[in-house]
Amino acid sequence: MRKKLLLLVCAWAMFNIASFAQTTATGKVVDEKGAAIAGATVLEKGTNNGTTTSADGSYSIKVKSGASLVISAIGRETKTVAAGSGSNVSLKSTAAEIEELTVSTALGIKRSKNQLPYAAQVVSGEDVNRARSGNFLNNLSGAAAGLDIRQTNTMGGSTNVVLRGNKSISGSNQALFVVDGVPYNNDAPATGNQRTGRGGYDYGNNASDINPDDIESITVLKGPAATALYGSLGFNGVILITTKKAKKGLGVTVNTGVSFTSIDKSTFPKYQKQYGAGYGLYYEDPSGYFLFRDVQGNGTNELVVPTSEDASYGAPFDPNLQVYHWDAFDPNSPNYKKKKPWIPGANGPETFMQNATNFNNSVFIENATDKGSFKLGYTRNDEKGVLPNSQINKNLLTFSASYNVTDKLTASATMNYSRTDGLGRYGTGYDDKNPMSAFRQWWQTNVDLTDLEAAYNRNKQNITWNWADPTDLVPIYWDNPYFLRYQSFTTDHRNRYFGNVMLNYKANSWLNIMARVALDQYDAMQEGRDAVGKVGVSGYTRSNQNGQQTNFDLMANIDKNITSKLNFKGLLGLNIRKDEYNSIAAGTNGGLVVPGIYALSNTKNPLNAPGEFYGKKRVDGVYAGVTFTYDNMLTLDATVRRDASSTLPDGNNKYNYPAISGGFIFSNLIRDYSWLSYGKLRANYATVGKDGGYYQVRNTFTPQTAFGTENMFATPTTSNNPNLRPERTKSTEVGLELALFKNKVTLDVTYYDAKSYDQIIPVSISRATGYNALYRNSGTVQNKGIEISLGFTPVKTNNLTWNVRINYTRNRNKVLELFDDGAGNKIDNIVLGTFQGGVSINAALGQPYGVIRGADFKYFGDPNNEVRDPNMRIVLANGRYDRTASSNFVIGDPNPDWLGSFRNSLTYKNFSFGFLIDIRKGGDVFSLDQYYGLATGLYPETAGNNELGNPLRSAASAFNGGGGILRQGVDATGKPNTVRASANFYGAYGYRYSPPAGFVYDGSFVKLREVSLGFTFPKTMVDKMKIFKDIQFTLVGRNLWIIDKNLPYSDPEETYGAGNLQGYQGNAYPANRTIAANFKFTF
Amino acid sequence: MKKILIYSGLVCILLSSCKKDLTSLNVDPKNPSAVPAYTLFTYAQKNLSDNLASPNVNLNIFRLITQAWTETTYTDESNYDISTRNIPQNWFHSFYRDVLRNLEDARNLIPGEVVDPIKRKNQLAIVDVMKVYSYHYLFTTFGNVPYSEALNLENTQPKYDDAKTAYTSLMTTLNTAIGNMAAGESFGSADIIYGGDIAMWKKFANSLKLKMALMMADYDAAAAATAAAAASTGVFTSNADNAKFAYLGAPPNTNPVWVNLVQSGRKDFVVTSTIVNQMTANSDPRIPLFFTTDAGGGYSGGIPGANNNYATFSKPSLTIQAEAFPYTLMDYAEVEFLLAEAVARGFAGVSGTAAGHYANAVTASITDWGGSTGAATTYLTQPGVVYNPANYKQSIGTQKWLAMFDRGHDAWTEWRRLDYPALVAPPTALSTIPKRFTYPVSEQNLNKSNYDAASAAVGGDNVATKLWFDKF
Repeated sequence: MRKKLLLLVCAWAMFNIASFAQTTATGKVVDEKGAAIAGATVLEKGTNNGTTTSADGSYSIKVKSGASLVISAIGRETKTVAAGSGSNVSLKSTAAEIEELTVSTALGIKRSKNQLPYAAQVVSGEDVNRARSGNFLNNLSGAAAGLDIRQTNTMGGSTNVVLRGNKSISGSNQALFVVDGVPYNNDAPATGNQRTGRGGYDYGNNASDINPDDIESITVLKGPAATALYGSLGFNGVILITTKKAKKGLGVTVNTGVSFTSIDKSTFPKYQKQYGAGYGLYYEDPSGYFLFRDVQGNGTNELVVPTSEDASYGAPFDPNLQVYHWDAFDPNSPNYKKKKPWIPGANGPETFMQNATNFNNSVFIENATDKGSFKLGYTRNDEKGVLPNSQINKNLLTFSASYNVTDKLTASATMNYSRTDGLGRYGTGYDDKNPMSAFRQWWQTNVDLTDLEAAYNRNKQNITWNWADPTDLVPIYWDNPYFLRYQSFTTDHRNRYFGNVMLNYKANSWLNIMARVALDQYDAMQEGRDAVGKVGVSGYTRSNQNGQQTNFDLMANIDKNITSKLNFKGLLGLNIRKDEYNSIAAGTNGGLVVPGIYALSNTKNPLNAPGEFYGKKRVDGVYAGVTFTYDNMLTLDATVRRDASSTLPDGNNKYNYPAISGGFIFSNLIRDYSWLSYGKLRANYATVGKDGGYYQVRNTFTPQTAFGTENMFATPTTSNNPNLRPERTKSTEVGLELALFKNKVTLDVTYYDAKSYDQIIPVSISRATGYNALYRNSGTVQNKGIEISLGFTPVKTNNLTWNVRINYTRNRNKVLELFDDGAGNKIDNIVLGTFQGGVSINAALGQPYGVIRGADFKYFGDPNNEVRDPNMRIVLANGRYDRTASSNFVIGDPNPDWLGSFRNSLTYKNFSFGFLIDIRKGGDVFSLDQYYGLATGLYPETAGNNELGNPLRSAASAFNGGGGILRQGVDATGKPNTVRASANFYGAYGYRYSPPAGFVYDGSFVKLREVSLGFTFPKTMVDKMKIFKDIQFTLVGRNLWIIDKNLPYSDPEETYGAGNLQGYQGNAYPANRTIAANFKFTF
Repeated sequence: MKKILIYSGLVCILLSSCKKDLTSLNVDPKNPSAVPAYTLFTYAQKNLSDNLASPNVNLNIFRLITQAWTETTYTDESNYDISTRNIPQNWFHSFYRDVLRNLEDARNLIPGEVVDPIKRKNQLAIVDVMKVYSYHYLFTTFGNVPYSEALNLENTQPKYDDAKTAYTSLMTTLNTAIGNMAAGESFGSADIIYGGDIAMWKKFANSLKLKMALMMADYDAAAAATAAAAASTGVFTSNADNAKFAYLGAPPNTNPVWVNLVQSGRKDFVVTSTIVNQMTANSDPRIPLFFTTDAGGGYSGGIPGANNNYATFSKPSLTIQAEAFPYTLMDYAEVEFLLAEAVARGFAGVSGTAAGHYANAVTASITDWGGSTGAATTYLTQPGVVYNPANYKQSIGTQKWLAMFDRGHDAWTEWRRLDYPALVAPPTALSTIPKRFTYPVSEQNLNKSNYDAASAAVGGDNVATKLWFDKF
């Protein structure tokens, strides 16, 4: 870009000065070793007449006779030479590579890293697309300090992208995505129920529509000083994506890749193999473990597995015991009315998880000439999931072109189209459409998955292990998982259009004016199916959304050297942003009439009115910025933006926010220390304002489905507020950048402290008001932390380069205030989401954002549960834990202590090798899977013998000194517990006799996130093939190994999806291990 | 520089030209800011009925508490675990938010909307009666709750009113409403319970007054007697007067029992041995009306709080499980039980004999459930059924508990007040049978000082604390 600008400058200058030119100076600019420097600036001294060097370092410029030339290049010394003919000019490197970096900043403006007074970390496009998966967002994990990525293990699921902690109590905390200066919608169409684990599908987030093959680099702008110019949108930091620019000469790049995915077994349940179906000893036969039915009709009652019971707390397995299993009641089964031995299922639920494949192919064609450039790309990705009948197909089309209309005027246009088609998204949460709900929580260890598959395939009916009763052959809680996946599946589509048209006018050497209209639009549809015969009510739902954002931008850029040492950059802009979002969702009522027809018209009862939303919003912004740089050493940057938003009431809808930053390259002053190659200090202060959401000012009533012919409306449950004001974040940041030992070591350290206050939130209020909440400007959240990015180059020779990059993030987050009217009325907790088990995620006063609340153990001598020493848990006289009656205790904090990543990359001749280790230290997670799955006796911990060698699951009468479990803790008098709790009934280990606090785990992990091996075919070999310029082969493994974790049988990273509700896991999918191979051909 | 000025000017012009339509964008085109009051009234009525009728374990577990039903496999609520599912909170929230708030808004809208003065007065009176009825359930669930400062957005931390005092105030509101009801129109068909029949509402209001009077009997017998006597002449006189919310055949307007028992496909509940044994001992004609047959073709119930095999035991009858089975908010049988008690307590001005009212009550219950008068007559001769003047609480308490088989909360309140039948908590229970619900967690966090004061005032925020009306 810089080069192009310079070319434009040059063209303009030549045009103006041509008439006075008297001589042509030529020459070549080289480095210390004599290699050509392309793109060096050659200026006629004292004028604006200049040019840049071409690829071979040569230049040619018309100048007045006797003139001097000032020759400069980024990161190199500047030389003044006499204009002559054919002279070689050698420019020495001034110092560090770090200085040569050009960084894209807010609004797509390029700055040299030297002049950047705030934290910005650049990630190469290659780093996020090496694995060539359907969703590059997950590959951002560990890519930059300050960035917290949480991914789900569902196919195409959403990715939580948060920079510098959660700031907003109830609003979005997701970073803004910006592609080439234009905001890129990253909504996720998931419902609130899906996010709180009540079932539904995670359809991913819209940023996954970006074509990863088109990403040149990603700049992570972390703090408000860097993002203030984006206005409210930049509140949460910005992920700035720069797409590839066409290079001169026709270039064709073809990628073809395939990957294989299997589950990580360490994140899947292990099952005990001693006991089978049942909840205890209360069924029909004399033992109490089995049903007792006359199956053969011969008057004799025989043992039947209690099929309705979705637990494994039943009879001990005994290969000599013959019983009727679930398939004995399927007339089409070879086992119909036949007994089988009472043994564990040979093929457990892990059999259900398939090996998945992903095919990724792309082609890019590009060319650039002096008159313009174009780029055309197409990527197709076909992804299959690990669940049967799941796939996502993506088609991504990219076209951009620019044309130099005149020397001063460039017209360009970009259009991206993407189409995503999903089939069989994974059911999430506590729901019968999530097979993991059964596998992890409600399962019979005697069931064999291969038998279930065969049963389904015989007649495609719901022949399930979980019959309501042998005389009532309908599923009670769980379907045959194969029937579920093949019959009750979802489909979804999304069309996305993202593009802009732009005119760029280079008025003179220091003024550039840009006008742009950008459109970001998508339409999406999701269809859900509940097949006739499944658990519960059959049905069909569909939901359509349409989102549109239009940005009108007009921006003037000034870049002028006021003196030879003082540079001035100015910015003046106007932005009008229009948002429109509408949606409609409807579903059949009371079941389907005709099986297999999934249409709203196929409804048993009259349709209820569909849910409708139509939102419109507009923000008008003006902004200005100035940057002074003195001697390439001191930079002072100030910006101000003023927004007027339609979502705020008249009188409060305009708001200004300034930012001021300074940078000082102190190494320019102290040149004596040879080990110090580069040193910069930076500091900044910024405020950002933010408007509200759609329709938070006026109250409206909510339409309800009529009661017969009687219409109903409801008072809204959240009251709006006509007195809202814009919300604010204030942030200060200081940073230090160092390059040491000739750039072998680079260090970037940032400390920040940000307070978000006056937040527009629906403040929970006493329901005795009749409302759940009232919109108010209230609440303060503080985030402060340290980001460190450390680079090493232990080895650098001609053949071997070894680079190490360590990123470290430590954020401390605290809710300082929720609501306080100063008159004694205050609020000390806002529930952000309620979950199963009486567990909630909260904004609690004085606590980190998002703490987990629930019932706790009672602790001896610790009535307020402040110390929570596990040894002092009070055990009741029956050997079970005592628990608090109230669920109002903080039992966990999902915020990590720190995040770290460790990336190694080695290149040796034509080979490259790299790996990335990703670390999360701390951050609690509540496991609903352990809460229920231990209760139902699925896991090995619930079987076997105790430390005395007696069966854990022994009867109450034998417990003292015999079987049962000895809980760690003390009795009511503080003496160590000696009473064994009976464990012969379900619930002994799980939720029934331990509070939710007992199922909060440390979510720390150390993951081998990525290993890659690359090979570039030798030039000689490629040249022989004639057609190619370059061939590369890459082999990448993702998530190969969880080196360490504390959460049993599950992936601590797994969540219900992007959003503010983290730290709760249930019905979790296992982690995916992927191995991908890719060929890249350049023609 | 000149150009900059020009562009700056352009910016200003563009911005000022947009200003006018900016705030008008923020008007929701899909949801109205004003609606007819009766639509809110209907909504409140439906939610009130849904709350009381529901057997959902997250909201209404009173059938389990009073041991009419018990759970099969997942027995937490039958063992009085009310905190895991935040049951008190859901109950509290739903009454204030889904019922009272909408009644209050209807009340505020009616004066500006209804022109006819009689219709207006009648509508306001009906709304007030429903508010009193709803508050009755809040006060009897928790003890002190927000009342005088409730439903006011200006005060987001309302104080809790002393239940006794508030009850007197509710009685006053009820009297005023009764006085304001006059022949003429009211809500018409928007009133699902009585179709706008104001005469019926007057009977309902008097019956409610009688009910509330007897709630006061143990701590203010004089006031109770006066109110009971005044009300007794205007109460329900037959099953034709019963206040029933008639559910429809299609979701979402069906009886919540159908939703939870039939539509869900789950097999969570059986009836208890406690109630089945009580009824079989006296050959109760309501047995086939209340229960399905068990695995053996007879009638048997599960043990309260224990794990019970679903196939083995009787379930609530198919009539109760039907989509359109109406919920009874108040009925003639209850009124007759109240009159019987009033006479038994010696309240002057209440006519008839205790035994006579008792017989009327039992007969009304049996016939309302679909039994014959003859069967009722026979039943009343059973030794275990014959009215016992020496212990009216036992006779009335037990029979009321049976009559309120489908009205869990009312059965709970009457059990607490009359102390019959003698229910025993399961050995596995987390607490004694609750005498009240603990306050919602939300109030602890959002209305702390008032919560603390209320907890102290009721005698401690736990389930064992007896409420003001539950003196014995």
